Order: sequence, then C-alpha cells, then structure tokens
Amino acid sequence: MRLRCDLPPALKYQAVIIENAARAAGLDFFDVVFELLDAKDVNGVAAYGGFPVRHPSWRFGMEYERLEKGRQWGLSKIYELVINNDPTYAYLVRSNSLMEQKLVMAHVYGHADFFKHNLWFAPTERKMLDVMANHSTRVRRYVDAFGLEEVEQFLDRVLSLDTLIDPFLPRREQGHAPEARSTYTPPSQRALRMLDSLSSPPLAAPPKDGASVAASELAVEPRRARLPSYDVLGFLEDSAPLEAWQRDLVHLARAEAYYFAPQRMTKIMNEGWASYWHSKLLTGGILEPSEVLDFADCHSAATYAAPGQLNPYKLGLALFRYAERRGEDLFQLRRVHNDVSLVHKLVDEEFALEFLQPLLPKPQAGEAQAAPDWRALKSGLLQQLAWGGLPQIELVECDADGRGELLFVHHHDGRDLQLARAQDTLLNVAALWKRPVQLLTLLEKQGKKLLAKGAEVSVLDSPEAEARCGAGDGDPRRPVRREAS
Amino acid sequence: MFRIEADRARFREIVRGRIRADLRRYLSTGELIGRAGEHAVSIPLPQIELPRFVFGENPRGKGGKGEGDGEPGEGEAAAGEGGGAAGSQAGGHILEVEVELDELAEMLGQELELPHIEPRGVKELASEGGRYNGVRATGPDSLRQFRRSFKNALRRTLASGLYDPRAPRIVPVREDFRFRMRKACPAPESSAVVFHMMDVSGSMGREQKEIVRIKAFWIDTWLRSQYKNLAVVYVVHDAVARIVDQHTFFHLRESGGTKISSAYELCLKQIQERYRPEDWNIYPFHYSDGDNWSARDTELCISMLRDEILPRVNQFCYGQVKSAHGSGQFKKDLDGALGDEEILVTACVNDRGDVPEAIKAFLGKGR
Repeated sequence: MRLRCDLPPALKYQAVIIENAARAAGLDFFDVVFELLDAKDVNGVAAYGGFPVRHPSWRFGMEYERLEKGRQWGLSKIYELVINNDPTYAYLVRSNSLMEQKLVMAHVYGHADFFKHNLWFAPTERKMLDVMANHSTRVRRYVDAFGLEEVEQFLDRVLSLDTLIDPFLPRREQGHAPEARSTYTPPSQRALRMLDSLSSPPLAAPPKDGASVAASELAVEPRRARLPSYDVLGFLEDSAPLEAWQRDLVHLARAEAYYFAPQRMTKIMNEGWASYWHSKLLTGGILEPSEVLDFADCHSAATYAAPGQLNPYKLGLALFRYAERRGEDLFQLRRVHNDVSLVHKLVDEEFALEFLQPLLPKPQAGEAQAAPDWRALKSGLLQQLAWGGLPQIELVECDADGRGELLFVHHHDGRDLQLARAQDTLLNVAALWKRPVQLLTLLEKQGKKLLAKGAEVSVLDSPEAEARCGAGDGDPRRPVRREAS
Repeated sequence: MFRIEADRARFREIVRGRIRADLRRYLSTGELIGRAGEHAVSIPLPQIELPRFVFGENPRGKGGKGEGDGEPGEGEAAAGEGGGAAGSQAGGHILEVEVELDELAEMLGQELELPHIEPRGVKELASEGGRYNGVRATGPDSLRQFRRSFKNALRRTLASGLYDPRAPRIVPVREDFRFRMRKACPAPESSAVVFHMMDVSGSMGREQKEIVRIKAFWIDTWLRSQYKNLAVVYVVHDAVARIVDQHTFFHLRESGGTKISSAYELCLKQIQERYRPEDWNIYPFHYSDGDNWSARDTELCISMLRDEILPRVNQFCYGQVKSAHGSGQFKKDLDGALGDEEILVTACVNDRGDVPEAIKAFLGKGR
C-alpha cells in the first residue's frame, strides 16, 4: 500500500473499499499500487508493456505512435494497465469517471489475484519492474560501448526469435528445483545474491567461486545436453558463439520472453477472471445507484465481440460464469489451468453452441451453412490457442549432418508456416549460430527443408520432413509435449 | 515521457528510411480509419513487423481467426475497436490526413538540405516576463525574502553582542530586510515577415494556381518552422492588390487583368508603414505566370524593385509558373534588368515536379 498517497482522496477511499471487498470475497494479492496518469502518459507506459522503464527500442516508439494516434483520433483508449509484479502496479487514467475508476480497480484486483495464484505465473519474476530497469541500464551501456546501430540490430535479430521458447519450461524447472526460499539465508548473503543476479552474466571477469552467477537462477545441466528442446533462446545463450555483450542481450531477451509467456497462455482466463470479479464486486454494493447504468454500458462495451471476433474478456467471463453454474470451484480453476486446459475442461456442447459458434466468420448470404459440430468448434478454438497461437518449432539437433548445423522441426498441425517470414527468421538464427541452420516443415503437404546458409535460404524437398513433421492430413494434433517426470 | 519520445523519434527515422535500411522491407503502411465530421479519414500508421515464425494463409485450419491483440499484461478495452465496420458501402471516400506540419517542415528541411535561415543583424530585444532572481533592500512585503532578512538580522545581532543563546531573540530592523527583485532577461529575437503575393488573374489557370499554392504552402510551412516570431502577409492581385487572410489566399478563385505593380506597391507600403527593415527580416515572394498587363507596368515594377524594395529586404523571390496563355515575359525582363542583384531570386516552375527545385532555389541560399 505504498505510494498510494499519490491518489486523490476520493480514489484512495474507493481503493480501500474495493480492496476490502475483494479480500472479503476471497481474493488474495500482493500489495496493489495505483498510479494516476494522464492518457498520454498511460500510452507511454503501455507502449513499454506497463513498465516505466524499458531498454531503448524503436518498437516501443512504434507502439506508442499507434496508441497515440488512436487516442488523438478518439478511436481507442486504454482503461487500465496492470503489471505482474510484487507489489502489483496498476495505472489509472485521469480522464476516466469515478465509476470507471472503480470498475478498473476491481478489475485490477482480479488480475492481481490471478498473477499471484495462477500456477503458470508462479515461476515468473516478481520484481520485474527492477529487472526491466536493470535491462535498460545494461542495454544503454552496450549502446555507449558498441554503438546504437550495432546493438539495436543485434537486439532486433534476437527479438525476432523471442517466440522460440518453451512456455512449459519454467514450470518444469521449478518443479525440480529444491525449495530454496524455505531455508534461512542471512541478509548479507541475500544481498550478495541480489548483486550477482543484477550483474549476470559478468562482462569480463570470470565468476568467483561460490558466487557463480549463471547458477544462481537455474542450476541445471547445460542445455546442450537436453536437446531436443523448444527453448531455442536458452540454447543460443549457452552455446552460440557470441560476444559477452551479445550473450547478455540474448539472456535479457529470453528473461523478458519468459516473463511475458504466461500472459499469452492465460489471456482469456486472466481477463475472464478479472471481468468476473469486477462485475461481481461492483454490483455487490460498491456502485452508487446512479452509476449502475453507466457501469452496465461500460461493462458490456468491454465484453462485446463482433461476430467472428474473439474477445478474451467475453469468452473468459462466459467460461467462469459457466463453471460457476456447474458448481465448479472457481478458485481452484484459476489456480491450475491455462487457457487451453480450461477450454478443454469446461467447453461442452451447450457452451460451444452458445459462445463458440459466433466466433466463426459470418456465413455468406445465400450460402447454407451446415450446423457445425460442437467438437469441431472446440478443437478449432483449442488449436487457435495451443502453444500461444504460434507454430511449434523444436530444436532437435545441434550438430546436424556432422557439420555443426542446427536442425529445427516444425510440428505441423495442418497450418503451414508463412514462408517468407520463416525464411527471414531462420536467417536470424543462422546469423547468431554463425553456421547454416535447417528447418523441416510441410508446405501444402509436401515435406520441405529450409536451409539458411550465408544470406540465403534455399527450399528443398525433403522426404525426411514428411516423416518428422507429423500429420499432414489436416488433423490437428495435440501439441507434442514432453511432460516433466 | 522523455524516453518514449526518444524511441518514437527513432522509429520515425526508420520509417523515413534514414537509418536501419535493413528494416525497410518489414515496413507496412497501415492505416487507422478515423472519423472527422462527416468524412472517414485515413490516418497513416506505418508498422514494422520483425520476422517471426507465424502461420501462413492456408485456409484448411479450422476455427475463426481471432487475433488476441494487445500487449500481454495490458487490458485494452477499446470502446470502438479499430478496423472499421466491414460494411461495404459503395464509394466511401476516405481522406488522407497527415497530422503534423512541424514534422513535415523538418522533413522538407532535411530532404532539400536547406540551410537554416540566419537572422539578419536586426535584433529585437523582447523582455519576456523576467524572473525574480535579484535582491534589493527595498520592496513590498509580499516579496520579502525571509531567509536573507533573517540572516542579516542574526548577523547584526551577533556582531553587536546582543545575542543570547539561552534566549535567542532576533529582532529585525528596517536595514535587515531584503526583497526579491525582478530582473528582465532580454532575449534577442529575430522577427521576420513574409509576403506571399499571388497573381490570381484570369490568365492563371486552375493548375497554375494549384502549383503556386503548393509552393507557397511549403515555403510558408518551412519559414514558420524557422522563426518563432513570423508575420505573414498574404497578398493577391489581379489589376489591383489586396491583403487577404491565409484561408482566402489558399482558396481564392478570381479572374481579371494583371497589374503586377499593384502588388509591389502594396508590399512596399506595408514595409514602410508596418514592417520596417530595421526591425524585421523581410522575405517577399511573388508568384505569377509572368503575363503582365503592359511593358510600362513591368518597367514600373523593375524600378520599384531596384530602388525601393530590394534595398529593404533580405531576399526577393519571384516564382513563375508556366501557363498556356502566358508569355513568361516578366521573368525575362526581371533577369535582364536586375540579373546582377544577388538578393533577387527567380525560378521557373513548369509542373508540379519542379516545385521542390524552386523551393530549393528560393530558400537554399539561407539568406
């Protein structure tokens, strides 16, 4: 509850009321710090993904430009912005009405509870605000040392690979790791560890004994030994022939990618949970009678979806309400599931026909559309959500053909890769690995091998790909996933 | 939001192609569809997408396409989602808007490599507000500076041996008081006046007027970006000249004969009465198709320029548009009579493509 003195008294008062109501309803969260900002500044923070300080990058400028133009022309506006951190930071927009602020606060407490208790968020960095600022400092230092162009170009290259991570990895590793927090460590040691983690990896000096930097976070065997793996960034960080500063940039991009990964995996649940609670809390006595209509208007605007459009607020809210009707334990659901598993568990015929059918594109006039099978609707949605909506690409060998080439396999689920982009991405991998890189995939059911060598990508026929990339029959396969034993 | 502005500037530089040419191929010229009054307007929104492994466009995958838009961790409830209603109204006209003129002027400056116009020796001393950063011994109570006053009193008490640490009592007297004093900060300022004189006579066709307006617009925009304190006088003339406002200047449609001297007379009168050269940088621009009413009038113009106007101004620019009816004689006459005057710049514009060159000719000298 620090910093809350920033809020004007009226909002502070509401924040306390809503927090008490949320706790009474069973929600549990880290301290929530609200910051009141102007719409323009909120856009600035939103462009940085909610963080006040990020490393310099034109990408944030681009996002800011988009948000700003949307705001200036009155096309879109951001209501709320909350980041997974301890304490949880949330931003309120000054121009919103008091009713909207209440709604946002209740919504934020829902998110804050979700961040704290959902299993997939458990391994995330909870001091991300500091980590991001630290990343920023490091990148700026490299910029000073090596030049903006050079650093930026390398970072762009790495960021084009930031989807090549294994979203299930942190959870598995957390399962293995001994519970380090339970043993008492004297403050001096904690401070030392803190310092270590801030300077990881050390720029020039070799790590001193007992204060090994790399080991502080993930004390595991070298990743090279653990192929095949989806954690391509981790592999490159460990094994690619890179300069120290480049390795650090990979490390940094990977840390940020893993921090954001659970949010992609639980977008629907997260928004659904927050929406469920804002409507429950606000209509449970917090709204003034005069505000009810405005609230209904605002709430339904947020949970509206045009036909053919997936609105995570709407779908998530429907899922939780449906679960409530079926007598499920909501708190349990929000703890153990992600979007895929929740949809898998909850969606049945009744739900699918009511909520999933509108997701289909509108049938053309005159075209008779057969009533879709609810199972098809469900599996369509699942396919869309699986693996964060991204192609599953696995690194299977780091010494393919005995020539030190990387070999990737795209686990094909009926959807082809966008070829031009895949080629460019592959070139970026090759640039980091400094050796040729191969990708096996299917294009229009034909096995293909993409070989990135030098500055060119050649596309070759490959019977091997047909065997290794899995079903090409249009049958969406469940993601191939190795479970933690 | 200083940092984000720096990132934004970097992004714009990339979009303009000044840096990071490697990213150019990922650039797409997106747009937002906005609404201004009755019209739909297209707001340009260039986006650069780094290559990633993504699904392509093969329709066999079932399930609707719904983009989980938005940065993770951000709940963005857009009241009216962008993307526009897909309703297919026939011929919905979309206007293009470009929002920031300042930025355009800056781009113009970079593209044409214009030197910044140096203010001529004339400086106008303008005191802007001033600041309370001085001290004096007299003044109103509202400006009393407590700390200094108290210090003085304390010092005097100590020096006179009256100070008793057990009962520290300081009684200030009149001489102890100090007051804040306002000091004027003279800021040298350069002021400039621009005369845009346009021939709107009947011989100027629609296209000619359009070209002139484009040119005047850019010059106007550029000069406004260079001077804080810029006065612009718009003059239109056919057989008589008159001063109009900016909107009229850019939208007026007229016809009639041509008497260029009328405009020069008016300009000169303004210079003498309102914009004296001691205080102002003066930039007259004149646009015409070069078809003057009579040779006598042209002579009058030339003598007026040589004797009255040119000695008073920084630079006089004459831009001539080629027209079907026009003889283009005026430029020849000017060049012939005043060709050795450095202050006089003439340029010829045949079509729209020549506009940048003409602007460069006018402003490139940095006079």
